[in-house]
Amino acid sequence: MSYLELAGLQKRYGNSVAVDDVSLLVEQGEAVALLGPSGCGKTTTLRMLAGLIEPNHGTMTLDGSEITRLPAHKRNMGYVFQSYALFPHLSVGRNIAFGLEERGVSRAEIDKRVQEGLALVRLSGLEQRRPKELSGGQQQRVALARALVIQPSVLLLDESLSNLDAKLRDAMRHEIRSIQRTLGITTLFVTHDQVEALTMCDRIAVMHRGRIAQIGNAEDIYDRPATRFVAEFVGRANVLPLARDAQGRATVWEQPVPVEPTQNADLFVRPQRMRIVPVSEPAGGDTARLTGRVLRSVFVGDHVEVLVEGAGGQLTVEMPSGSTAPTEGTEVAVVWPRAESRVFAREAT
Amino acid sequence: MTASRRLPLLLIPATLLLLVVYVWPSLGLFRNAFNEVGPTGAMVEAWSLATARATFHDSFTFELTLNSLWLSAVSTLIALCLAYPVSLFLFRTDSRFRGLLAVVAILPMLVSGVVRVFGWLAILGDRGLVNTTLQSLGLITTPLKLVFNWTGVTIGLAESIMPYMILALLAGFGRLDRTLEEAARSLGASPFRTFRRVTLPLSLPAIALAAGLGFVLSMSAYITPKLLGGGRVFVLATEIFEQATTNTNWPVAAVLAIYTLILLLVLLVVSNLVARRLQR
Amino acid sequence: MLTRRLVIQSGLATIAMPAVLRAQTLSGQITLMSYAGIFQDNYTKAVIEPFQQAHPGVKVNFVPGGSSAQMVGSVRAQKADPQTDVVIMDVTTSSIGNLEGLFEKLTPAEFPVLNELLPEARAAGGEFGPAVTFDHLVIVQDAALNPQIAKLADLWRPDLKGQIALAAPPNIQGLALTAMTEKMAGGDYRKSIDAAMKKLKELAPGVNTFDPNPDGYSLILNGVAKVATGWNARAQLYSDQTGGKINALLPPEGSVFQVNTINLTAGSKNRAAAAAFVAHALSQGAQKAFTERMFYAPTNGMADIDAKALGRTAASPENRARMIPVDWNEILKVRDQWNNRWRREVIAAAR
Repeated sequence: MSYLELAGLQKRYGNSVAVDDVSLLVEQGEAVALLGPSGCGKTTTLRMLAGLIEPNHGTMTLDGSEITRLPAHKRNMGYVFQSYALFPHLSVGRNIAFGLEERGVSRAEIDKRVQEGLALVRLSGLEQRRPKELSGGQQQRVALARALVIQPSVLLLDESLSNLDAKLRDAMRHEIRSIQRTLGITTLFVTHDQVEALTMCDRIAVMHRGRIAQIGNAEDIYDRPATRFVAEFVGRANVLPLARDAQGRATVWEQPVPVEPTQNADLFVRPQRMRIVPVSEPAGGDTARLTGRVLRSVFVGDHVEVLVEGAGGQLTVEMPSGSTAPTEGTEVAVVWPRAESRVFAREAT
Repeated sequence: MTASRRLPLLLIPATLLLLVVYVWPSLGLFRNAFNEVGPTGAMVEAWSLATARATFHDSFTFELTLNSLWLSAVSTLIALCLAYPVSLFLFRTDSRFRGLLAVVAILPMLVSGVVRVFGWLAILGDRGLVNTTLQSLGLITTPLKLVFNWTGVTIGLAESIMPYMILALLAGFGRLDRTLEEAARSLGASPFRTFRRVTLPLSLPAIALAAGLGFVLSMSAYITPKLLGGGRVFVLATEIFEQATTNTNWPVAAVLAIYTLILLLVLLVVSNLVARRLQR
Repeated sequence: MLTRRLVIQSGLATIAMPAVLRAQTLSGQITLMSYAGIFQDNYTKAVIEPFQQAHPGVKVNFVPGGSSAQMVGSVRAQKADPQTDVVIMDVTTSSIGNLEGLFEKLTPAEFPVLNELLPEARAAGGEFGPAVTFDHLVIVQDAALNPQIAKLADLWRPDLKGQIALAAPPNIQGLALTAMTEKMAGGDYRKSIDAAMKKLKELAPGVNTFDPNPDGYSLILNGVAKVATGWNARAQLYSDQTGGKINALLPPEGSVFQVNTINLTAGSKNRAAAAAFVAHALSQGAQKAFTERMFYAPTNGMADIDAKALGRTAASPENRARMIPVDWNEILKVRDQWNNRWRREVIAAAR
């Protein structure tokens, strides 16, 4: 039995279904990301877990006891809201103390734990401030401390970094991950940002249209996407329409590729897994190969993007920066290991 | 001229209107306050403080002030207790009937004060809805005195200021955020504790605003105390009217009117200060 | 200058001409201000329309002026540029207007009809506009009330508790009731109203309202009260109009006259027509017509009024004997004092 179990959760609003059927097992101390585009039902799932909304169907079990109908204030979940939701009329210290006061913890213990909480998020000395006197990053950390000092059974983070600027977000990402690891706290992290999901969590549940499309660790999701949606949503992919030639072989750009011939399907290959070689270099046994003309090369800092045009379209190859980019207009061959090829059917529209 | 420097031009129509319909008559009022009244009620043109002195030496003026303040305080409190939950509901609800419900809540505002008062007479009178119901239930034998006294005026006033207070509360609920209440719930606060520790403190500025408005409206209300008071309820507004239109005593009416105006201004300033303080 | 001479000549001619001849040359509009509602309706029929028939060139506009105090207020506000030519209102307010110079003095030389008036009608206005109607305070009661009230003292009957609507001072009904109660208790209002205060204080807890709105007659007809103070003329008319649902009682202990005076506004823009109207209103014909129509007692002693109608006014000899002589100008001086005593002693006992 897992520490946290969600089984068949469903939430409808009138005729629209926010969460269709979500089942998820989370182990104690594990950090799981709910990743997906807006409207996929990830926040709804988190809110059901916190008890802020009631599911229409399904059950939630925490540490062996069912919590499906338990009111929010009895669930002991630390919820960090996207907007932080700091109480504007209370000081930073009183904000952090709020949950402890509601639990009837003694004044001395509260003071001690508030100090610990402030230290944990490196805000010691700011307890007298009002939330609006703090920067966005500081507010974020107060919200985190407030959720952590109650020693929650599960920490729920709802798009918690999306209101911060890029640099701060990077720093907070590592900070939260290290706090989570240090405290060994079970964490559910809702995000639409795949980098956050990939870097902060042990496992990722990719959500699509109210269901979990795939669940696994970062490599599983990235290298072995289970569905076309996952492949498209996580990371970048060259989507190459598959056709069939006279001999019945699968082709891309009218050149044979070593995959099963399939009707109405596309070939997915990650740009990083592709290499550019001279046309003269012959194809190896376990590689796939396409030829085309270099349209242009763009230096993006940590890598170079090369856009290659073939008979039926374009693809992008990511080369490590430092390698010499081929000049525009050159005929080149693009090669990749056969194992990096994924074929997904086109969605019926 | 830049657009922002031309902006005050927008105030001209309203200012002109105010000058004609408010400032000019107020000056007349001011003038009348310095006139005197002869023994049989004839007005004597003068520049004297005799009327004002006599008015403020009369202990009845003090009594009227207390009556007005007390009536306004009680009516405002009752109206607030009723308006607050309604406003909170309207502020929160996702119902598609929200607009309709809001209109229903402020509908009494659109009904003439006199009509509303006669409605209350029909409900609260000796043979009104309340008394006949209580009597048929056997709870009382003689009708309760619910109109033509302070009780009736307080009920009527509370009802008449409620719509205004609902609007003021809705306008003042700016800082009230559903997420803050959810945060409190997630931190272990029961719904009641959440209300006490988050919702209520955050709506205090709105409450101050609404209470200030309700109080000022009650202080200046005339129709309700006049028609529901049965001649037993003496407040500043009724006395001003009585002095002006029954006693033909314009100087005393003017003195009382200016006095009431000053009281109201002070009250408005105080309630604004309180609201602003709570906002911080 | 020709035109100027013409004006002066015609002006002199006007003064020299007998009244009857003069009337034929009247023209233009005049504005009469007085009470709205049934007073306006009946006064228009009984007095204004015959006047307009006699003077086809004159149009009389009736402007409802609210209460008497509001009317004197209007005339006061228009002092610099009068918009009203004739005002009919209560003597307590017209006397204020007289003191403030809002109205003209009337002389018997110009208004011979003054000589036909009862002495108290002349006295009401002094040198100014005289009384045009007499009315008196009555106890108005629900015709279904059993037993009916037969005297003022019956108001204190225990079964009427909570059923009484009376208009407290500064309303003049309240002032009149005070004088009547003092008389009933054996006193004289000119000396003291202590006895009245004592009696009224006992009555107070049983009073439903001290400020009947819109008036006592309506409250009885609507079932809110069973007894009210009221004015005879209106009570009689409402009684007729409702098929006898209310009755008016002139208490045997005595009643007080309410006096309406007719006043010619100082600075009237059509003074000739206004003066003619005042004379008409006081004439025997107009007095007879209005009394028979609305039961106000006539102020013209020579008016020949139908005995049946006269019996319903205070003018019948039997009723006249019951009237308490009241000088409203004297009461005006003590009005504030009475008002204060009502508030502190009577109404305070009724909370």
